[in-house]
Amino acid sequence: MDASVKSHFTGAEAPAPTRAAVFWRPTAKSGLVSWLTTVDHKRIGFLYGVFALFFFLVGGVEALLIRIQLAVPNNDFMSAQLYNELFTMHATTMIFLAVMPLSAAFFNYMMPLQIGARDVAFPRLNAFSLWTFVAGAIVINLGWFMPDGAPDAGWFGYAPLTSKQFSPDHSIDTWVMGLQLLGVASIAASLNFIVTIINLRAPGMTMMRLPVFTWMTLVTAFLIVLSFPAITIALVELMMDRLFGTSFFEVSNGGMPILWQHLFWIFGHPEVYILILPAMGIISEILPTFSRKPLFGYPIVVFSGATIGFLGFAVWSHLMFTTGMGTVATAAFALATMAIAVPTGVKIFNWIGTLWGGHLMMRTPMMFALGFVWMFMMGGFSGIMHSAAPADAQQQDSYFVVAHFHYVLIGGSIFALLAGIHYWFPLMFGRKVSEFWGKLSFWVIFIGFNVTFFPMHFLGLNGMPRRTFTYDGNLGWNAPNFIATVGAMILGLGIFVYFVVMVYTYFKGEKVKRDYWDGRTLEWSLPNPPPEYNFAVIPTVHARDAWWYEKHHREEIAREKAAHAKEDAAHGGIHMPFQSIYPFVTSVGILIGAVGVCAVDYGHKLPVVIAGGVIMLIGIYLWAMEGNEGYHIQPNEEDLKS
Amino acid sequence: MRLTSLPPSFARWGRAALALCGLAVLPGCDFNFWRMDGHQTTMVTAGPVAKSQLDVFYVTVWVTFIIFILVGAVLAYATIKFKAKTEADEHAEPPEQSHGNPLIELGLIGASILALVVIAVPTLKAIWYTYDVPEELRENAYEVTATGYQWWFKFEYPNEQIDGAGTLVTGNELVIPAGRPVRVNLRTVDVIHSFWVPKLAGKVDMIPNRGNHLWLQADEPGYFWGQCAEFCGESHAVMRFRVIALSEEDFAEWLAAQKAPARTVAPAVAQAGALPQAQFASFRRNEYGFTDKWDANAAVPPLEHWRQQQFPAKDEDAALIAEGRRLFVEKTCAGCHAIRGHEGMGITGPDLTHIGSRTTIAAGLLENNREQMARWLKHPEVVKPGNLMYTTGYVANNVQLNDAEVNALVAYLESLK
Repeated sequence: MDASVKSHFTGAEAPAPTRAAVFWRPTAKSGLVSWLTTVDHKRIGFLYGVFALFFFLVGGVEALLIRIQLAVPNNDFMSAQLYNELFTMHATTMIFLAVMPLSAAFFNYMMPLQIGARDVAFPRLNAFSLWTFVAGAIVINLGWFMPDGAPDAGWFGYAPLTSKQFSPDHSIDTWVMGLQLLGVASIAASLNFIVTIINLRAPGMTMMRLPVFTWMTLVTAFLIVLSFPAITIALVELMMDRLFGTSFFEVSNGGMPILWQHLFWIFGHPEVYILILPAMGIISEILPTFSRKPLFGYPIVVFSGATIGFLGFAVWSHLMFTTGMGTVATAAFALATMAIAVPTGVKIFNWIGTLWGGHLMMRTPMMFALGFVWMFMMGGFSGIMHSAAPADAQQQDSYFVVAHFHYVLIGGSIFALLAGIHYWFPLMFGRKVSEFWGKLSFWVIFIGFNVTFFPMHFLGLNGMPRRTFTYDGNLGWNAPNFIATVGAMILGLGIFVYFVVMVYTYFKGEKVKRDYWDGRTLEWSLPNPPPEYNFAVIPTVHARDAWWYEKHHREEIAREKAAHAKEDAAHGGIHMPFQSIYPFVTSVGILIGAVGVCAVDYGHKLPVVIAGGVIMLIGIYLWAMEGNEGYHIQPNEEDLKS
Repeated sequence: MRLTSLPPSFARWGRAALALCGLAVLPGCDFNFWRMDGHQTTMVTAGPVAKSQLDVFYVTVWVTFIIFILVGAVLAYATIKFKAKTEADEHAEPPEQSHGNPLIELGLIGASILALVVIAVPTLKAIWYTYDVPEELRENAYEVTATGYQWWFKFEYPNEQIDGAGTLVTGNELVIPAGRPVRVNLRTVDVIHSFWVPKLAGKVDMIPNRGNHLWLQADEPGYFWGQCAEFCGESHAVMRFRVIALSEEDFAEWLAAQKAPARTVAPAVAQAGALPQAQFASFRRNEYGFTDKWDANAAVPPLEHWRQQQFPAKDEDAALIAEGRRLFVEKTCAGCHAIRGHEGMGITGPDLTHIGSRTTIAAGLLENNREQMARWLKHPEVVKPGNLMYTTGYVANNVQLNDAEVNALVAYLESLK
C-alpha cells in the first residue's frame, strides 16, 4: 500500500515522494491538456457523447445518401461500389460509433452519480477506453481517405467475401482492426463499470435499490464482456487468414465460412441487447420521473432485463434461419426467440403500469419516452414475426427486416438516447432546452421516422432484398421507396433541428435550478453541473428512489450527512485521483500499430507496427509505474447544502 | 397514379397535394403498394411451400395485431387519462407511490406465453414441412442443382444426361415441371449467395463447403421472378434469375430441345464482304433493361413471352450469324462459355447453348433482345460492375468490340434457340 493511499485512511500527511520527471502528473483543469489527461468520469462521458454524436451525424449522412440512390428505380446517383461502402459503413458507424458510445456516455456520466460514487473504480482505465474507442473509430473510417476505399462487405462481414481472394485491398483490414480496437475499448470500459457497480455503491445502496438504468448498465457490461471475445476471436482468425495465409475461413483449404456466422452472431445477437438495454434503462428512469410515481414492478423489470441478457446468448442462430441448419436447430432457436418476447413484453406492461395513476408531465423527454414505447412495441411485434422461422425464410434479408430493426434501433435505442439527452441536459449543463423546440423536433423526428420505415414493411413483403444498390421499376417497389426517401429527409431535418437546439441551449439556454424535473434518483441531488467530486458528502441510501426518499425525510438524512462529512474531514478532505496522460499515450501507440497492420503496404508495415507497439508499451509501463496516487480537496460550502 | 376509386374531387385534391410534395415526378407510379402483388411478392403465393410460410406469417400478424390493439389501447388511455392538464396539476401533491401488483404481472406473463404458443405450434409444423420434400411426395419429386457464381446462377439437371456431353446445364432461367415437387440442391463456387423465388418458396443460402437444399413446387405453369438474397459483392443487386414452370408435356418438349446441340443456321464459313453497319442505342448506366411488356400490368402474361422466345427470329441473316460464330472464338468468348455442338468450351461462365431461347440475359437483368444484348456485350462493366466477363475476359484478353462485331455476335447468340 503506498503512502498516499495510507493517508486516505489515517488522515496523516504523506511524505512527499521523490519522483522522476516522467512521472509528472498533469494538473490542468482547463484547456486541451486537461481533456487529454482527464480521469473524471463526467468529462470522459461528455467526450464519449461528443464523439458519438459526431459519428451519429456521419452515419446519418451516409443513410441519406443511400436513400437518395434508392429514391427512384435504376438510379445512377452513385456507383455500386460506393453504395456497398455506404451501407457497410452506415451500419458499422451507427452500431459501434454512435449508439454504443452514446450509451457509454450515459454509463460514464450517470451511473456513478446514481450509485452515489465519486468516480468509476479505475479512472485511468476509463480514459484509456475512451481514447482507444477514438482510435478504433479513426481506423474504421480510414478507408474514406485511402485509394482502396471504405469497407464494403457489410457490417456482418460474411466469410468468404472478406477473404483476400474476394476483397484483396486494405478496406477489409481497416474494418477488422477498427473493430478489434473497439472491442478492447468496450471490454475495458465494461469491466470498469462492473467493478464500480459492485464495489462503489454508497452505503445502503443495495442491489435491489439500484436505479434501473444502473442495473441495465450492469447487465449490458456483462453482455459486452461475454460477447465481445467471440467476435474478437473471429476477427483475429480473419486477420490471420488475410495477413498470414491461415485457413479458418479459406474454402479451398477446407475452412468453414459458416463458422464465421456462428462466431459473429453469438456476439451479434447479444450486441442487439447491448444496444437496447441501456435504452430501456433510460426509459425506466424517465417514465417514473415524469409520472411522479415509482416504476411499476421494479423487481420484475430488473429480472426481465437480466433474463433478456441471458436469453440473448441463446438465440443467435435466429439470424441464420436460412443457412440450412436443419429442423431441430431451427425449431430450438425459433422457440428460444419467442421466449425472449416474454421478458420484453413484461417491460412494456410495467411501463404502462408506471403511467397508470400518475401525474404525467408531458415534457420533451416524456414525449420521446412515450414515442419509444410505441415504436419499440411495433419493432417488437415484427420481431415476433421473424421468430416464426418459416415466415422468416421469406423476410430474412428483405426490407421487412430493415424496417424491423430500424423500429427497434431508431424507434427504440435512438429515441431513448435522445430522450436521455433532454432528460439529463439540465443536470449536465445547468440549462434547459426550450419545450417548444424540443417538442417540435420530436414530432418532426417521429413523423419522418415512420414515413421512412413503415413503407419498408411493404417493400420487404413485396420481395425487395436488402443491400441492393438498384432495383427495377416493374416490381411495385417504386412508391414505397420514394416515400421512404422523402421520410428520410424529414427525419434528417428533425435530427438537424434537434442538434441545433441542443448546441444553442448549451451556450444560450435558460439556466435552471437544481433538481429541475423533481427527480427520484441520486444524480438529481447534485448541483448542476455537478462538481468534480460529485458528492460533497457521500449519501446514505434508505430506499429505492433514494433522492425522492431524501426529499421527504430531510432531518434523518441531514444527521447522517453531518457524520459522513466529519469522516471525510478527518481524512483531509475528499480524495481525488491524479490526472494522467499515459492512457492517452497508450491509445496513440495502439492507433499507430493498428494503422500499420491494416492500412500500410507490405514493406513498410513492420516499422510502423513496431513503432506503435513501442509507444504502447512505454505508455503502459509508465502508467503502471506512476502509481494510483491522488490528492485531497475540500468540498465547496454551497455544495454541502442539498 | 391510381386514385380512380375515390370521388373525383378527392382525387383532384389528392393529386394536387401529392404534386406539392414532389411526388408528381413519378408519373405512372402505382401508389397502391399495400396490395403487395408485384412479380416478386411473398404475399401472393404459387406453391405449397410459400403458402405454408405465408400461413404462418398470417398467424403472427393476427396474434401481434390483437396484442397491439389491446396494449396500444391501454397505453393510449393511460396517456390521455393521467396527463397533467395544467401547470398547477404538475406541481400538485404527487400520486400514491405504489410499487406494482404481482398478480397482474404474473397474469400478463401467462397471457403472453399463451399467445406465443398460438404462434409456436404452426411454426413448428411448418419448419418440418418446408425443410424437405414430404415423404409421400418424394417419388414424384424432380431434382435440380442450382449453383451460385458472382453474379449469376447455374442450373443443372442431374436426371437429364446427354450422350457424350454429361449433365444438362443451363443458366439464370430455371425451367421446372409444374405440379411436381422440385428439390433444389444449393451450391456455390465462390462466396455465399441465397436462392429466393418469393412466390414459390422462402430463401435458403448457398454456402461454400455446405450441401444445402430446399424444395418448392409451382402448382400451375407460370413465370416467376427470383433474386440473390445474400450480399455477395459489388453486383449483388443485379444477380437475378427466373423460374419457368411448364406443364408436363411442355416440359418434356423443352427438355428435348435443350438436350439437342446448338442450332446451326448457316455453313460455318464466314461470307466474304463487308458486314452490315449497325447502330445501337446508347444507354445510361443502370438504365432499365426491359420493354413495357414486362410490366406487372402488361396484357400478355410473361409465360407467353417466354414461349415466343423459343422460336427463331424471322429476319435471321445467315452470313451475319456465321460471322458472329467466328468472332465468338476470335474474341475468346469460347474460353469461358460452352456452346454444345459449336466451338464454345468454357465452363466458368454461363452455358450459352440455347441462350436465344431465354427471356433474359446478364442474370435476369436485361431483356433478351438485340438492343440489350448489344448493350451487354459493349459495356458489361457498366451493366454489371465488377463482373468477371469484363475483368478476366475483356480486360485480361484485351478484347475490343466495334459496333459491327457486336452486331454479328448479337445475331449469333440470338440464333441459339
